[in-house]
Amino acid sequence: MSWDKSVKEIKWNDVMETERYEYTVGPAGEEFFNGLKQGKIVGSKCSKCGKVYVPARFYCEDCFVKIDNYVEVDKGSAYVDSYTVIYKDDEGHVLEKPVYIALIRFPNTVGGLLCYAEGNVRIGAKVRITNFDWPLRVMVE
Amino acid sequence: MKVNMYLNKRVAIVGAGLTLFRRRLLETPQEIAWEASRKALDEAGLELKDIDCIVIGSAPDAFDGVHLKGEYLSHGSGGIGKPVSRVYVGGATGVMTAIAGWYHVASGMCQKVLAVAEEKMSPARPHPQSVFKYIWDPILEKPLNPNLIWIFAMEMHRYMAKYGIKKEEIALVSVKNKRNAMNNPYAQLGSNITVDDVLNSEVLVWPVQLLDVSPVSDGGAAIVLASEDVARRYTDTPVWVEGVGWTLDNTEWPARDLSYARYVEFAARMAYKMAGIERPNKEIDVVEPYDPFDYKELHHLEALQLAKRGEAPTLLKEGIFDIDGDIPSSPSGGLLGVGNPIAAAGLMKVASIYWQLKGTAGKMQVKKPVHTGVAQSWGDLMQAGTVIVLRN
Ligand SMILES: [Zn+2]
Repeated sequence: MSWDKSVKEIKWNDVMETERYEYTVGPAGEEFFNGLKQGKIVGSKCSKCGKVYVPARFYCEDCFVKIDNYVEVDKGSAYVDSYTVIYKDDEGHVLEKPVYIALIRFPNTVGGLLCYAEGNVRIGAKVRITNFDWPLRVMVE
Repeated sequence: MKVNMYLNKRVAIVGAGLTLFRRRLLETPQEIAWEASRKALDEAGLELKDIDCIVIGSAPDAFDGVHLKGEYLSHGSGGIGKPVSRVYVGGATGVMTAIAGWYHVASGMCQKVLAVAEEKMSPARPHPQSVFKYIWDPILEKPLNPNLIWIFAMEMHRYMAKYGIKKEEIALVSVKNKRNAMNNPYAQLGSNITVDDVLNSEVLVWPVQLLDVSPVSDGGAAIVLASEDVARRYTDTPVWVEGVGWTLDNTEWPARDLSYARYVEFAARMAYKMAGIERPNKEIDVVEPYDPFDYKELHHLEALQLAKRGEAPTLLKEGIFDIDGDIPSSPSGGLLGVGNPIAAAGLMKVASIYWQLKGTAGKMQVKKPVHTGVAQSWGDLMQAGTVIVLRN
């Protein structure tokens, strides 16, 4: 019944399933991800209330104005806000080594980033970003 | 049909905003929602802090590829820290978003409401049509693997057969709407095409051809609604919501008369009764019927009681529904011309009527003076009808 998957060209009026999605990161997302490529954490600063959003946001959700001001955040100030430890993968297989997932934040900013963490992971500890590919990897000192 | 409805407050629209309607907008869905919302607030002269509650409209989550899209969009729709609700009745969502905004105010619960609709159809691969895979009855229909175009093809064919309507006559809707869209700065597909262009375009599923259908699109729309006392403080030219109607027909679509949109008739009768409209074709000055397909505009004009059954094509040929006609229809360019980001497309129609009645529709402004306008949308598995009557 289903359409033949070996057919290369899929016409829009064929019967088909959604196979995948291609998302856009948006203008602020581009600033943020381009920053990562250069080893920078890019946020955006609301000109009205002064809040700095990490990752960069296109608009301030409180003042509801556009944000044009992109700022580099001090990546050395990152700290662990919370973390968890994963023992099984998403198919239920026990992992060889538990995986630490940390929510890291930067002082005086709004937002946070989820990343893989290594080292002596504990709440409040300073982290060093060791890999700027997404998702980030951090070492807890 | 009897509808019990008790109103506390008269409701006005005091601002509207649209984004460009385009395929594959760079902005994220949240950013699209924000842009439309920001523009609506700016036109209303209000800030987010003035808004009491937020209504979000979006069609299937699957278009944007984000589940819980109401929650996802609340960020860009100004919903953080406010009461937020999402409405969803498929293609009928756009006008339902305005209606839900209206009842928050009409009930007396809120004074100022921001109603936002967004859709991003571009992300789905291989094509957004494929998100309709699981809307069918799993036992009776799914084994045939239908897609929506098939179903509309059958509806169109039944409409043509019942009244002896030719494809040439239906194609005129596409010609009119794409032409109107050339006046619309937000439109994706404004163009001067001919009936022959439509008839020579690719046959998708007979009798539906490529130029009979609205394009895949991304976009956002928003309006601000306010209670009468508040509206008068912010504008000298409020546009009043005088009637609303929303009804659901039997979801079992093979059991319905495919040649007539009864679900829209029910919704229209409800809205007209509330607005005190007795002779729709005499009292309605401008209309934005839902036109994802060209025959659908004719279907809906008939169900809105603006033409007798089977007679909309004749009135169209006579120019009644042209921008300088007696009842201009889709002066915005409709979905065929502006684009079809589902929920946003319906709310775009409400915004368009609002601008017509305010007299700020620019090059889209219809030639005759207008006092009463109607916007309509339709959807779910083709059984949800939503209608709104506005007056200046
Ligand atoms: Zn701010």
